[in-house]
Amino acid sequence: MRLPLEAVRELAERAIRVTPADAAEALVMSTTSALTRFAGNRIHQNMAETDTQLSIRAVLGTQTGVASTNRLDDDGLARCAAAAVEAARHAPEDPDFGGLPGPLPIVNTQRVNASTAAFDADRRAEAVRAMIEQSATRDQTAAGTVSTSDYAAAVANTGGVSVAMEGDDLRATVLSMGTRGGSGWASMVTNDAAAFSASALGSRAAGIAERAEDPIALDPGTYAVVLAPEAVADIVDFLGYLGFGAKPFSEGGSFLAESLGQRIVSEHISIYDDALSPGTIGLSFDFEGQPKRRTPLIEGGVAAGPVTDSYYARKLGMPNTGHALPAPNPYGPMPLNLEMAAGGTSEADMIASVDRGIYVTRFHYVNVEDPMKVVLTGMTRDGTFLIENGQLTRPVRNQRFTQGVLEALSHVGAVGSQRALFGPGEGAATLVPALLLERWEFTGQTG
Amino acid sequence: MRDAIAAALDATALAGATYADARVVETAEERLTVRTGRVEGIESSDSLGIGIRVIADGAWGFGATADLSPDAIRATAREAVALARAAATTVTNPVRLAPVGAYRDTWIGPCEIDPFAIPTEDKLALLLAADEAMRAESAVRVSTASLSFLKVNKVFGSTEGSLIEQSYTEAQAGIVAYAIGDGEMLPRSYPNSHGGQAVQGGWESVLALDLPGNAPRVGEQAAALLSAAPCPAETTTVIIDGSQIALQVHESVGHPTELDRILGDEAAFAGTSFLGLTDLGTLRYGSEHVTVTADATVAGSLGSFGYDDEGVPAQRDHLVREGVLEGFQTSRESAPVIGRLSNGCMRADGWKRQPLVRMTTISLEPGTWGFDELVADTERGIYLETNNSWSIDDRRLNFQFACEIGWEIRDGKLGRMIKNPNYTGMTPEFWGACDAVCSREHWQVWGIPNCGKGEPMQVAHVAHGAAPARFRNVRVGVAR
Repeated sequence: MRLPLEAVRELAERAIRVTPADAAEALVMSTTSALTRFAGNRIHQNMAETDTQLSIRAVLGTQTGVASTNRLDDDGLARCAAAAVEAARHAPEDPDFGGLPGPLPIVNTQRVNASTAAFDADRRAEAVRAMIEQSATRDQTAAGTVSTSDYAAAVANTGGVSVAMEGDDLRATVLSMGTRGGSGWASMVTNDAAAFSASALGSRAAGIAERAEDPIALDPGTYAVVLAPEAVADIVDFLGYLGFGAKPFSEGGSFLAESLGQRIVSEHISIYDDALSPGTIGLSFDFEGQPKRRTPLIEGGVAAGPVTDSYYARKLGMPNTGHALPAPNPYGPMPLNLEMAAGGTSEADMIASVDRGIYVTRFHYVNVEDPMKVVLTGMTRDGTFLIENGQLTRPVRNQRFTQGVLEALSHVGAVGSQRALFGPGEGAATLVPALLLERWEFTGQTG
Repeated sequence: MRDAIAAALDATALAGATYADARVVETAEERLTVRTGRVEGIESSDSLGIGIRVIADGAWGFGATADLSPDAIRATAREAVALARAAATTVTNPVRLAPVGAYRDTWIGPCEIDPFAIPTEDKLALLLAADEAMRAESAVRVSTASLSFLKVNKVFGSTEGSLIEQSYTEAQAGIVAYAIGDGEMLPRSYPNSHGGQAVQGGWESVLALDLPGNAPRVGEQAAALLSAAPCPAETTTVIIDGSQIALQVHESVGHPTELDRILGDEAAFAGTSFLGLTDLGTLRYGSEHVTVTADATVAGSLGSFGYDDEGVPAQRDHLVREGVLEGFQTSRESAPVIGRLSNGCMRADGWKRQPLVRMTTISLEPGTWGFDELVADTERGIYLETNNSWSIDDRRLNFQFACEIGWEIRDGKLGRMIKNPNYTGMTPEFWGACDAVCSREHWQVWGIPNCGKGEPMQVAHVAHGAAPARFRNVRVGVAR
């Protein structure tokens, strides 16, 4: 099992004490994860792992170096501290480094749930059987996962920061595959396993797969699209990765760089990062031990600003929004709890308002073709349907799109009233509604 | 390490496992990054732990811990058996493994100069010199230069009598210049994108790349891209450089020929494959110029080892021979489905992950053409270099790749530069349109250290041998 909360906090404090530097910071993450994976209507992987990672950032003047280890005895700790100091010694002075941040009050978010902690191997197997049953009774094949993550994290520095928090989450996915080319998908992530109904999730995926059988070919072109929330989560995550961080903003490589205060998408679009949002998962402080705060990124279609950490807040003269990743990293500060504000339209009403368009359950293998315009390409998957005269009529083959996301979000027909949480678990999640977009460019399809 | 293996195997037997293997893996890493004149990170890390895999009641279970005390190892072994028994409640066909010999052996990868012994000052000096040289062009507003090194020691033992020790060192180095202007950010990389070139080897492999010597050209090309012509939207002939062919092989031959994908084990995440079991020996994958091998014995390749993580010896096998599908990448569990023994493709991402079918060195075998000769033989088309973006559907059929740079080909000569080129196609149709592959003189192994697969996600270090190749009737300039 992972280390208890107080042991994690004590380890972080011990690490900074043994680091012979002008200043030091320690980050400890202790995790027990379990994952039950199924395919072909049987469990084919069932695993559990426990590990504790310690990372030390040593500071000599404005020189910094980082070392990490999972060897936590006295020797391991001493070696890690010495390696961090040695790295710092070789680093050039960095005039933009203003020192480690000081202590600030942290919101004490309750993210441990007894129902999730009790979700053991037998409960996971039971959930898998319930999901498989929904597919098997429809002559479908099911695949997916049920996983849990139980973690304790602590950050301490010699400037007085000492914060710690524990949490857990559960994630489940299910893919149902029919016999005539149809497939369906459903997923969920939560920190309350009591909210997880395996049979309901399995039924949703199986229902989509039934409806998706015998997909037809479709001519590439520009269509109105109704994106289900999981598809929206994909494109919002790319906005976060490419544009909402202070590093690309600072370098001029973000779409926010030249547009703060300007309308960049439809007035119906507002995007925030909020790790304190009820129902989300993850830490309420960042990896420098600074409090996370609700941060507007796009409000009413207007570019509001990037997320920052202590380094970029100082460099840019902006507030520290508490979005540091573990140092060093190639991304700079990043939003891990993105959310899009809900609108007032149900998904059914969105579909009803479309004369001819496409409904997308989710995307697959999305990648970047132009980072500043956020031009993405990828495929649809597991439930793509033609909308005709306000109704889902026929399933269509998986479609390839090549689309500028900012351009697409400038033509919003409606924003969904219900939001859902998606993500890989383990602290990161995206809370989004469905969207009706008036134009989306499909550039090909699969065979 | 050996004691930990023995303790694990004893405990699994006591707990009732019918088969078990255990891997103790120790890693050390070092990463240095310079970005636009600033040393962005000097980082080292190490990790040690044990992964225990069992079969009990006909199902798999896997447990992993960083605590190598006898008590912790025994508890983890018992947990692995309990996980197998929980999984067995859904299993109707018990796991059966293809036979493999019991090996007691040691394997060491090539490394002439230990990169961990090179002073940090020397590494930073090399990176800073390359980084600065790229920014001689004012349009290059962001530049990066990076080095990373990995040392792995691992011991594998199984209840069938194998005890195998392996160690190797990996080195990766690369530079990127980003030209930014007029709402565009255009990268130019050397020797490859996504972190550069990665090999099994030491400091000597970094020196051989001559990052500072290549940096001025990289900066100049990045700057020139800002004013280059856009990629035309048309169907034309393309010649693709070796590094991009490597990724094309990775996505459209490597992944679809993984037998676990074909059997549906990866369906919910990465997807399945357009290939079926009955396609073996019959399906025309490409033209007669297309021969693809899976080879874990290529010296210095990221895809090489002595034994895979099931204790199966490294092998060389054909996946496609002269255009016809001939083999799959297999494991001890999957190989019997096609009536074969494992060809040794099971690898795990460290001690806390269960082995999966992973690529070794999957290579497009060289042809006979010289590069200049191939361009001269092409009346009209585009030459493409260096991957910038990749995407492929869940059955590995419909793909779209973007490259960093291209040049028009007109009347057998390279012409004006093209920015943001991309191309799209369908896998068998594309490989069927291959009418020329350059010779061994132009062939090289490209390391890919970021191949994602499995849940929890595992990142594999794989490689692809490739030379430039020509394809007819390819759609380029999608949505340009």
